[in-house]
Amino acid sequence: MIEVKNVTKKYGNFTAVDNISFDVKDGEIIGLLGPNGAGKSTTMNMITGFIEATEGNIVVNGYDISKKPGKAKKQIGYMPEGVPSYQELTTKEFVKYMAELKMVDRKTRKEEIENVIKQTGLEEVQNKLIKNLSRGYKQRVSMAGALVGNPDVLILDEPTVGLDPKQILEIRNLIRALGKKHTVILSSHILSEVSQVCERVVIINKGKIVAIDTPENLEIKTQNKNVIYVTVEGKNEKMLSIKNKVKDIQELEYIKDNEDGTKQYKIVSDEKIDLRKTLFDILPKEDITIFELKKAEVSLEDAFMKLIDDRQESTNREQENIDEKQEKNKKKDVGTKLISNTAEQDQISPGENSEKKELEDNQKEIDKEKGGKE
Amino acid sequence: MWAIIKKEVKTYFLSPIGYVFIGIFLLAFSISFNLELGYSNGIIDFQNIFVYIFTYLPTILVFAFLIPMITMRSFSEERRNGTEQLLLTSPVSITKIVVAKFISALVMVLIALLFTGIFIGIICFFGTPDIPAALVTLLGFTLLCMAYVAFGIFASSLTENQIIAAMISIVTFVITWVLPEFIASGSNFSLINMFYKFTTGQIDIAYTLTYLAFTVLCLILTITVMQRRKSAR
Repeated sequence: MIEVKNVTKKYGNFTAVDNISFDVKDGEIIGLLGPNGAGKSTTMNMITGFIEATEGNIVVNGYDISKKPGKAKKQIGYMPEGVPSYQELTTKEFVKYMAELKMVDRKTRKEEIENVIKQTGLEEVQNKLIKNLSRGYKQRVSMAGALVGNPDVLILDEPTVGLDPKQILEIRNLIRALGKKHTVILSSHILSEVSQVCERVVIINKGKIVAIDTPENLEIKTQNKNVIYVTVEGKNEKMLSIKNKVKDIQELEYIKDNEDGTKQYKIVSDEKIDLRKTLFDILPKEDITIFELKKAEVSLEDAFMKLIDDRQESTNREQENIDEKQEKNKKKDVGTKLISNTAEQDQISPGENSEKKELEDNQKEIDKEKGGKE
Repeated sequence: MWAIIKKEVKTYFLSPIGYVFIGIFLLAFSISFNLELGYSNGIIDFQNIFVYIFTYLPTILVFAFLIPMITMRSFSEERRNGTEQLLLTSPVSITKIVVAKFISALVMVLIALLFTGIFIGIICFFGTPDIPAALVTLLGFTLLCMAYVAFGIFASSLTENQIIAAMISIVTFVITWVLPEFIASGSNFSLINMFYKFTTGQIDIAYTLTYLAFTVLCLILTITVMQRRKSAR
């Protein structure tokens, strides 16, 4: 059981973590999700006692991390971001050192070390120096360091970063298996990972908690429109007129032409109304052949994007890009004018031609971007 | 705590640092020994020669420059490699971590000093050295090293750059060393001047306590730095 109560972390004027509270039940796998720099690692570092919270308190299995750090830390196995380890030691030496640091009972230590090495699949490399291991193995060594001593709570900071797909799968399975006996907090910016592994998700952005819920609930919560994708035979243009015939359609949009001559449309209706049956009935009557009809699922990704909502930020960035390009164009315009002034009577040189073309292209790009935005 | 000491000492010998440290020290010590033999014009003072070696400049100077070599990495390297995250999130308290780092560096110094026993052996073969005086000198030298190691550890806790950590130690040493030359009262700050008293064969209680106090002070400063960094990190 981990309780995080009104925790704030400030660096000077900058607030890295702003008054967050959540708790993790025994045997639960919880995911901290958020863009880079959201405060995930800071939160984890505070739970493990590596850094001190400016305000608020954190209680791990009944021990306050700032008041009883020794006992609280004993409950925790921590795998820091970037998987630091002692490069000059061998895998086994490292795990042994971690076991000793965690004061694992001398009698069971040897057995414990062997178990952990087996569990993380490190038997083959147990006598190799850590510095000679591949990234995937280093990750596992770090994991072994966190696991040794069988701590109740596991805190894993981005446990699958830098692994190949097979290793990711292995680590995920391992985490899932560990979640049966341990309380796990993991951080990630990979959404699919969190939705697969975690029972609950804490979404953090700019140091604040945006949402705490199960992945399923988050998907449902953020779904407020019913979206259907329909692919029809593209021989006639009747499709767009359907909108007038079915009053529940809020929006009907042409998406794309497929290679096989069919066309895809997007149909949006109110959350409570499922138009699939209606469409199946009405389209054949209008002499439109349905090739495909599917309901769009709101993924955790959509939920995440919606919650994070840094649309404002991205708009600003886009605007900046456009401004930059216009600035560039202006400069080029001036340059071109100068050239044409000095050689007024002369024919336009090929160089100038290409420059003009570039200008035109740039302008087109800008227009496109503006159009896209609107 | 024992685990950290064991691992630290082991790490010194896993890298060349441990060997280089002991090697260079013994080389300097041998040079001093040789110089002393040549200096005495055939009449060798076997009784006091061991003590004299310690008062020779190469011995002290080399040692002063060597100690930062073993202390500079103790916290700086952990900080740079991120392994301090493992160390500081373990149930071991910061005080114990600092003391363990101090003891492991001191163990290296003691190993090096143990080798000087060879010289006592050689002297014994040719004459009769003043063993108590030799032991008092060794004690004084150990105390000097303790103070210096503690300062080195403190310097290491200040920065993640090992070179800077070493420079802080060396510069501080040089300043306290040359200070008496310029300011009369500066000798009170000179750890080396205090050591010379021990070479006369007397255990000076006041100086012993000064060394110990300085050591403890440096360790407390290190603990404070580490604790402060917890909230500033």
